[in-house]
Amino acid sequence: MKKTLKLLFVLLVALTGCEADKSGTVDPQSGKGGSMARFAITGNSLYIVDDQSLHSYDISAPDNPQKSGSKSLGIGIETIFPYQNNLFIGAQDGMYIFNNADPSNPQLISKYQHVQSCDPVVVQDNYAYVTLRGGSTCRNGATTNSSLDVVDLSDLANPKILHTQNMLTPYGLGVSGKLLFVCDGTHGLKTFNIQNPQLPVFLSQNTSVDAYDVIVRNSRSLILIGKKGLYQFSFNEDKGDLTLLSQIPVQ
Amino acid sequence: MNKIYTLLLAALSLSGCKYHDRDRWNPAFDGTAYRPVYMSEEEVSNITFHAGEKLVEPGKIYLLEPFLFINEKGRGIHIIDNSDPGNPENISFISIPGNYDMAAKGNWLYADNYTDLLAFDISNPREVRLAKRVSDAVPVRDFPPHNEIYFECPDPSKGTIVAWEKVDMSVKPKCWR
Repeated sequence: MKKTLKLLFVLLVALTGCEADKSGTVDPQSGKGGSMARFAITGNSLYIVDDQSLHSYDISAPDNPQKSGSKSLGIGIETIFPYQNNLFIGAQDGMYIFNNADPSNPQLISKYQHVQSCDPVVVQDNYAYVTLRGGSTCRNGATTNSSLDVVDLSDLANPKILHTQNMLTPYGLGVSGKLLFVCDGTHGLKTFNIQNPQLPVFLSQNTSVDAYDVIVRNSRSLILIGKKGLYQFSFNEDKGDLTLLSQIPVQ
Repeated sequence: MNKIYTLLLAALSLSGCKYHDRDRWNPAFDGTAYRPVYMSEEEVSNITFHAGEKLVEPGKIYLLEPFLFINEKGRGIHIIDNSDPGNPENISFISIPGNYDMAAKGNWLYADNYTDLLAFDISNPREVRLAKRVSDAVPVRDFPPHNEIYFECPDPSKGTIVAWEKVDMSVKPKCWR
């Protein structure tokens, strides 16, 4: 029993061991990143996630960022997506939801736990769309399955999974009104209808692109990046049809 | 009892926070290990500004209308004038070693340069200016991004670790995770 306790203690130590602290200031949106971003700006705060932590910088003096806080999360933190007053942080074992009313000291509201995988997230209204990518490049290759999950956020303290469907190699994603765009790596860009936000319905797939991340520019056009370069498409919000506007190919 | 060991191993492999130099619960050594690739301080912090360059290995993107920023993995940021999305204009490139991420607001672009955070004045995107460097803003792990492997223990006096290479080693290194 003693040995067991000792081991449990070591386990606890192994699980902690990161640090934390606090302080800072705030406001509205600025530029727009993709869903794979580790940097995000809301108001006068620049947020940076590293592998284990969320760091806040006060940029009210834009040429002189000041560290205002730092929160230790867990491990395998990958992405940050600001939406309204919250920060949605994608980690390899789940999605953390923070309230950033006090930007220097974001408060953890809840964590939506899922299988070990790589997982960017985007949010629209009361729903989060998360892609989970399995495979060897993700932690330990613990899972080989990949999926697109819909999470109900109507109670932020208690996020609930509503729906899941298989994907191949999903990376970033973007949402605009009735449409959800999912980058499926070498399998291209997939478009889903989310008129019923709880149930994305597959509409079409553009396999001419290798899709890594996407930014929905406005309700009519999107910007896509992948191994072959940058692509811009306009789209029809009802049908989701994509029309190529331009590309900057890699050389 | 075995269960507890399994749990413990799971916990250790999950905790990316630390690596280990003790000799317990360590993985089997197969004659290969990771060796740090170091870069000098001058090389790491050498930021240069160029006219538009070709995309080679693009990473993330960031939009601050009408400009679009495209990361060139580990190398810097392309600035694109996207006033006309049908005809984007590749106007300049900021060479930033170890850069993967960025965000922008107003006339300011923030980017990582290995462990440092940089603030650029982009009021004229053709004449970008480095305004501020915040050291050690983005702590980078000083161990390879793999589990159950051995690696040569980092020596900070040799510079910044910019990569890890897998090499054959006859002697088992002290560090592992």
